[in-house]
Amino acid sequence: MSQDTTNTPDKDAILRASIDRSLRHPVMFFFTSAAAWLAVSILLGLISSIKIHSPGFLSCAGWLTYGRVFPSHINTLIYGWGAQAAFGTIIWLMSRLSRQQCRAAGLILTAGHVWNFTVLCGTVGILAGFGTGMPWMEFPAFAWPVLFITYTAICVWSLVQFKVRPEGHTYVSQWYVLAAMVWFPWVFLTANVILHCMPGHPVMAAGVNAWYRSALLLLFFVPVGTGAAYYLIPKVTGRPVMSYTLAKIGFWSLAIIAPWAGMQKLAGAPLPYFLPYLGAAATILCAIPSFANAFNLISTAARSGETVVHSPTLRFTLGGLIGLATFGVACVILNLNSTLPLSQFTLSGYGFDLLGIYGFFSMVMFGAIYFIVPRITRREWLSRRLIKWHFLFSSYGLAIVVLVALFGGLMQGVGQEEFRSNWQFVAERAFPYAIFMTFAWIGILLSNIWFFLHLTLMWLRLGRRSSHPTLLLDGHHGSPHGPEGDIDNAGPGHASAAH
Amino acid sequence: MTFRSFVLGLSASFGIAWLFVVVVPFFKMRDLQPVTFKEGLDTKEGNYFPKRSGRVANGAAVYAENGCYLCHTQVVRPTYAGNDLYRADWGGLKDNGEGVDTRRETNAFDFQYEKFAQIGVTRFGPDLSNLGRRVETNYAKGSDPAAWLYAHLYNPRAAVDRRQSACPSFRYLFEERKVQGAPSNEALPFPASKEGEEIVPTSAAKELVSYLLSLKKDDVVPASMNFSPKKGEKK
Repeated sequence: MSQDTTNTPDKDAILRASIDRSLRHPVMFFFTSAAAWLAVSILLGLISSIKIHSPGFLSCAGWLTYGRVFPSHINTLIYGWGAQAAFGTIIWLMSRLSRQQCRAAGLILTAGHVWNFTVLCGTVGILAGFGTGMPWMEFPAFAWPVLFITYTAICVWSLVQFKVRPEGHTYVSQWYVLAAMVWFPWVFLTANVILHCMPGHPVMAAGVNAWYRSALLLLFFVPVGTGAAYYLIPKVTGRPVMSYTLAKIGFWSLAIIAPWAGMQKLAGAPLPYFLPYLGAAATILCAIPSFANAFNLISTAARSGETVVHSPTLRFTLGGLIGLATFGVACVILNLNSTLPLSQFTLSGYGFDLLGIYGFFSMVMFGAIYFIVPRITRREWLSRRLIKWHFLFSSYGLAIVVLVALFGGLMQGVGQEEFRSNWQFVAERAFPYAIFMTFAWIGILLSNIWFFLHLTLMWLRLGRRSSHPTLLLDGHHGSPHGPEGDIDNAGPGHASAAH
Repeated sequence: MTFRSFVLGLSASFGIAWLFVVVVPFFKMRDLQPVTFKEGLDTKEGNYFPKRSGRVANGAAVYAENGCYLCHTQVVRPTYAGNDLYRADWGGLKDNGEGVDTRRETNAFDFQYEKFAQIGVTRFGPDLSNLGRRVETNYAKGSDPAAWLYAHLYNPRAAVDRRQSACPSFRYLFEERKVQGAPSNEALPFPASKEGEEIVPTSAAKELVSYLLSLKKDDVVPASMNFSPKKGEKK
């Protein structure tokens, strides 16, 4: 399942090149605008992190208050960066794996513009004081139907491509991408229809919102990231996935367990008792798919260690998989009966979300972007150093943010449980951790500004005209991708490039 | 595995959870049955129905738009889920002035007139389930509770014992205007930037304060749903 090779490599290379060409504009648009949103989101995250320990910072205007900046940070992270990076990866992966050109590039590109415009309006709406007050769904009510329709216009073609693909093997990546395309609309529509259109009990509304947050993370971001990793690692290392059985276990355990998770965020709220504890149990069990997939993929990559060191794609993907394994650990330690009261209303919930969205999903997306962009633009990355710095600052920064938030959250929780101590002392427990996080966010922000600039240069077709992949090594070594000029977009050095 | 069986498997694994965790509980809770006071156990009769007054719906919107739910929760968890109930003034008052402990956990009837229960995300600030009661008896101490809240929202760090508060200032919910005739009785005890002007709350601030003062979730509940910490102590 690792390679697209058939008996006619020339024909195959032409097919791949034509698929890449058909998707160039929508995929580049998604990646570049996603990277821009990521930089915006991190800037907002940095501002809100400063405000936790220094409430006087930028407190002059209503639109800069913590209660509006933080939701803008989260919503741009999810809908601006996360969803768009996922869309770019989904449509490219599906086309490649179903071996068909994309025939709706124009429509996808238009829908992508509408999506971006809606995210922009929604974010301005939050900052202007029209937020809905429902976490992760703060965009004013006009946004969700537009987002849903544009999502359909973007992704329905990938379903069609899968349906009419030539007979043959279904790749592990395709299970995940396909499943994410089924789960996302189902989850998104359920939560938005219930919360915006159906009057119900207010506590259950909060419950549905908690379930939505968990489902979006576990049933959209996690599967898209896993699907991409199951493509990238075998592809770049040129080795098949270590265990197909383990991949199956990982997939079906996620499919069966994850939909039950989420309501542990409301433990103790006046909901039916079983819901939060069912949610906590399901979240703990989500460690199974996390460990299965992380172990499977890391073992696959570990067999070609040198490639991992040199390939930017693998470096990021592997970083993401370590994030996935940590995510599995966090699923367990934050939701045990003894720790749930400590993690429930503290920083650790935020740390957990960031670990899933940035520590795993985004790192794999960076890996995918470093892999896909040279193929669709037919240009190579300009600067090894920028990639190295992106990796360094992103991974270290994120490790600090996540560990500090997880641990600081638990410490905060311990304070909250000490009911005899003054509340002010409890509240102050969070400050030192918030200061740490502020510094880490600065590093992450820098790394993603570089990333965005690098990507923009690629978008402007200013990349190196070369068929040699960009590798993170000094001097001249042999390419782990095979003999020079043999990368699969059939670069200028390739015989079939003339066709 | 065929495409058909794959999609069927996916729909089943997701659909069952979706039905049992989201859809069925949603409709069940929509038709929540009232709880009645029982003779012999309770001092009251009839159905339990919490009273609530103030501009709840409008104020809840201001609360949501300004993200108060990010730092403040509105749930006093039962003792199996946390120690909120033992705090002296979160679930009610340990001593309401007449030697009565009014603390109780949050119940499903506490969010009357609200569309979305702001259970909350993180506790950078204290729980607000009983903020209205707390302001009236503990903070304002006899003075006008609304005026105390206006001053607190305008500058949360004004009082000496609140210098360390991380609550943002909500200055933008107030406006400065010329004093016309006698100073307004809603004017804040802070100097305006210009001579002859006063700081008064906007309508959004009034709605928010009215909502915050309506947060008094410490009324007497039927014995069948009362788990106050006092009960444990007696045993």
